[in-house]
Amino acid sequence: MPTKNDRGEKLNVSPGEAVGVVAAQSIGEPGTQMILRSFHAAGISSIITTKGLPRIIEIVDARKKPKFPMMRITLEKGYAKDYEKVRKVWRKLEEVTVSKLIKERGGFSEDLGARIMVLNLDKERLHTYEITPSQVASRLKKVSGIEIGMDGMEIRIKVNGTKDMKLTRQTFVQIRKAVVSGVPNIEKALVQEGQGGEFYITTAGSNMAAVMDIEGVDKWHIYSNDIFEVARVYGVEAARNLIAHELFETMSEEGFTVSFRHPALVADAMTHTGQIRSIGRHGVAGEKESVFARAAYEETVKHFTNAGVFGEVDRLNGVAENILIGKQISVGTGMVRLAVRKDELKKIKAEE
Amino acid sequence: MQAESIDTIKFTIVSPELVKKMSVTKLMVPDTYNEDGYPIDGGLVDQRLGVIDPGLKCKTCGGRAKTCPGHFGHIEFVRPVIHPEFAKTVYLLLQSTCNQCGRILLSEEQIGELRPAIKTYVSAEEEEDAARSTELALQGLSDAAKELLLKRLKATKECPHCGTPHPKIKLERPTYFYAGENLRIKPDEIRDWLSKISGSDLTLLGLDAALRPEWLILTALLVPPVNVRPSITLESGERSEDDLTHKLVDIMRINQRLEQDIDAGAPQIIIDDLWELLQYQVTTYFNNETPGVPVARHRSTRPLKTLAQRLKGKEGRLRYNLSGKRVNFSARTVISSDASLTINEVGIPRRIAENLTVPFYVTLWNIEAAKALLLKAEYPMVINAITKEGLRKRVAEANRQELLAAIQPGWVLERQLVDGDIVLFNRQPTLHRLSMMAHTVKVLPGKTMRLHVSVAFPYNADFDGDEMNLHVPQSIEAQAESRYLMQPKDLVLSARDGRAVMFTEEDEIAGAYFLTKDDATFSKEEACTMLAGIGVYDLPRAVKGGVFSGKSIFSMILPDDLDYEEDSKGNKVVIKGGELKEGYIDAKLIGIGGTLIQRMFSSYGSDVTMRFLLNAAKLSLRALLMQGVTISIKDYYNSDFVNGEKLRIVSEVSARASELYSKYKKAELEALPGYSRKETLEMETLATLDEARALASKTLEKVLDRTNIAYLMVLVRARGSVLNLVQTSMLLGQQAVRGKRLSRGYSGRVLPYFRKGDKAPNAKGFIASSFFEGLTPIEFYMHAMGARDSGMTKSLVTAVSGYLQRRLINALQDLYVDRDLSVKDASGALIETLYGGDGIDPMMEQVVRSGA
Repeated sequence: MPTKNDRGEKLNVSPGEAVGVVAAQSIGEPGTQMILRSFHAAGISSIITTKGLPRIIEIVDARKKPKFPMMRITLEKGYAKDYEKVRKVWRKLEEVTVSKLIKERGGFSEDLGARIMVLNLDKERLHTYEITPSQVASRLKKVSGIEIGMDGMEIRIKVNGTKDMKLTRQTFVQIRKAVVSGVPNIEKALVQEGQGGEFYITTAGSNMAAVMDIEGVDKWHIYSNDIFEVARVYGVEAARNLIAHELFETMSEEGFTVSFRHPALVADAMTHTGQIRSIGRHGVAGEKESVFARAAYEETVKHFTNAGVFGEVDRLNGVAENILIGKQISVGTGMVRLAVRKDELKKIKAEE
Repeated sequence: MQAESIDTIKFTIVSPELVKKMSVTKLMVPDTYNEDGYPIDGGLVDQRLGVIDPGLKCKTCGGRAKTCPGHFGHIEFVRPVIHPEFAKTVYLLLQSTCNQCGRILLSEEQIGELRPAIKTYVSAEEEEDAARSTELALQGLSDAAKELLLKRLKATKECPHCGTPHPKIKLERPTYFYAGENLRIKPDEIRDWLSKISGSDLTLLGLDAALRPEWLILTALLVPPVNVRPSITLESGERSEDDLTHKLVDIMRINQRLEQDIDAGAPQIIIDDLWELLQYQVTTYFNNETPGVPVARHRSTRPLKTLAQRLKGKEGRLRYNLSGKRVNFSARTVISSDASLTINEVGIPRRIAENLTVPFYVTLWNIEAAKALLLKAEYPMVINAITKEGLRKRVAEANRQELLAAIQPGWVLERQLVDGDIVLFNRQPTLHRLSMMAHTVKVLPGKTMRLHVSVAFPYNADFDGDEMNLHVPQSIEAQAESRYLMQPKDLVLSARDGRAVMFTEEDEIAGAYFLTKDDATFSKEEACTMLAGIGVYDLPRAVKGGVFSGKSIFSMILPDDLDYEEDSKGNKVVIKGGELKEGYIDAKLIGIGGTLIQRMFSSYGSDVTMRFLLNAAKLSLRALLMQGVTISIKDYYNSDFVNGEKLRIVSEVSARASELYSKYKKAELEALPGYSRKETLEMETLATLDEARALASKTLEKVLDRTNIAYLMVLVRARGSVLNLVQTSMLLGQQAVRGKRLSRGYSGRVLPYFRKGDKAPNAKGFIASSFFEGLTPIEFYMHAMGARDSGMTKSLVTAVSGYLQRRLINALQDLYVDRDLSVKDASGALIETLYGGDGIDPMMEQVVRSGA
């Protein structure tokens, strides 16, 4: 049996190990078995997010906005278990536009010629979001160039500012999209019950900075899947954690176990400069030091011509460029170098 | 044996002077061969440029086709021509410098402001100190500096140095420049302009001061040697020139016409036209896919493959020839399985072994052995002998004695492949490192290469016609590395998650169950047969009546000091002191990700693990053979209860689906974020109907037990799933295309059998029949629709994930663990301070977690 110390050593990575390739393979290889459908038919009462291969590509490409941004909001101690209080927080979250408050059928009618629009508010909907008709009206007063008349649940709007039909139409759209209450970008929020009867809220759409200020929200425990937003609000370190975690979770959901170190390494490679870079030609692979490595990947001619005018020097440190010129690669056992005393070598050669 | 190796490579642009220096001759004649088929002097295949015909001698170096590397020539343009690939650089320079004084359009103060933002640029020639030169700015300017610079330059309307107004420069692709709206700046004017720019101003723009921008306007063109553009002789004896030669002929022809017209004093319009034509020819010579330029075509309308096309893309020089190289010492054939091999071996057909060779390096100490080897005239014999001078001689009866006399240390004998040699074995697609492993050779009769079934999984191989490749490492270093790093027995655990990727499967798992279940007993004969089959000649202690328990037989292959416990779904396994005390062996232990295999590997090492794996498989198979197991139609026959349940399930989900629909109709169904209400209805209906299978599974799981062999296989995880059983004996369930229920075909319906707008589940691909009952033609058709969709999706996923893999590998391939267990990239940048935060080998991930 090996001694304890030997065992400890045995568990360490070997210096030289091409961990980048191992990480890339660990994430890429299961890709062939992953689904291409971007969402699960999730059923009722859940927030849709991108899943599987499309989500992995989305992360690795460092897209500015995820296709389906999402937040999970934990509530403060005094709120989490009290459903009524949770509802209160919830009400402040969801972005409520005018079109969400009017009746499903016949909620509005518009006459472009007369430049008149009539909104028919829905009593029940107003009730769910705890909004009064006058609140809606006062919100609409901010829209310029219109005249508002109220009659119970009915709001009549006349556009005075312009006679142009196109502009009138734009104003109508603007009215329907006007946000009455809630947090911008949060399309929908759902209250969900977690372990131990503690409620939390999931949202479609993400806006961490705004949510933080809402009373009852535990600002230390807000989760968002929007990498760039996390970077803006919390910094790159948080973004790197999110990249690693999202990659890991996406794979786990598909039933692929993967050591966390692999997604973590991908995340580190993407963020170690302090910026979030994508993996492809506009990011990590396209910003390599070696001209050959970049040319062998994509956009061959561009890299060679640029290298010419800028007088670039290829120091042949990486893997791709050494394969190209037929030298031993620099990782793995190729990392080992020998130091030779030149004068001694000359002496030996002279003796031969 | 690298005598010299390349240290760095510097890229520059070439000056006209350098072109002339590199060139062996100026080419004058825009043609190739004369009527006699002889190369024209001063033509494009001038013999001073090298030769490709085997009979001729190079007029520059005197070498023959094989020894002469070829030499450059050049063409001198009568009028300068813009290098099309550098038009953008020229554009930048024209925008930012003054036509009069050649200064950058920034005042001295502005330059002072900019300086700190510019990384110091040192020309590589001036830079001796290697350590400092790593700071050498690659693209010259930082992004911040670039932004600042461009903003300033745009605002400048006149030169701050000499006061000359600066026109707005326009670039019309690919190579036409205008000052203001329509005053054309011709290439010769641009050349004069650029030559006025000072070196220090160039560094401000991020360029190399040693490289003159006027070189971007070509006055002389380097002509590549004929070796780069060989002509081919067709069977008819007709010569067919390379695309590059064709293009060069075009360039020279126009250049010559232009010269004649200028000399003859032709009108300016004609000269300009020809000049433009020359520009076109040069543009397409460099890149025949330049945007905004008509593609130059061969007589047969095939687009010409010019310089850029040679380098670019998957079939280009870089990716096809330089990153990927063809090799010798390799073999490829169909694979098949062989349970008698170890996972470490590969069976090689005799015919392949006879053709592949391994070098035998002759030294002072093994020369006698070498001589003996050389004397052999049948199978393991020497094929080639390589002398000290590097001359390869084929060994034959005629020269054997002669070679025997001449042999001395320093020679290399190439001998045939024999048992025990190390070879690399590979299956494509090579998605991870386990797709290429080192096996030891076992020469076998037959024509297929053979491998143990347990090693098929990491290769993702099966034996339905798969082919695999074999490579024989030649250098001692390569052989040693293969042996120490790439053998399957050392790679039993995956680097992805540290779980076992070499394990027992299917029949072996079923066998292990029958061998180790509580009531399994075997007679002495049976026990002897099983154990002798794996080379164990002891018997375990018998229970009463001279009968042996299966558990005790299995314990014979466990190490004596193994203590192990595992609890998986109602099967508690206890091994104490190398004795299986409780529970049966199932896939959780020795199947994919098997915890027992993992434990063996961490505690006893690779050799014991390999032995255990092979023995467990063999033992289990023998036990299965003695037992005899079969499934029959009976296993899929439903009781009345199950059939009743099925009807209940179908009507339940149908009712829920129609409830959803009426909710939708009444506008009560709320849309999911990002989707319309109609889409939401579809998604939720699909989810509801999909549940039928899950409900059916529950019913079956309640009803079935271990007497049903098909279900037993599922329980011990030998093969199949409950879903398979559900689909065979209960119902197929909902079919889907593109993640939705079937909808396309005819207008408003899938098949004309249905009424338009039929909302019933079965009209949209819900199949309530089972494989056992058989499908109606309608159902069969719908099932085929679902199958085609999943086939299409699968092929799409392969393409998408293949590209993801390429991107990931390309981005991360330079990362390695340094001596202090930090992760660095090729430029030496620190990526992680300690690999994975703990420095643990990913292969050992689970071992560390389990604490074993």
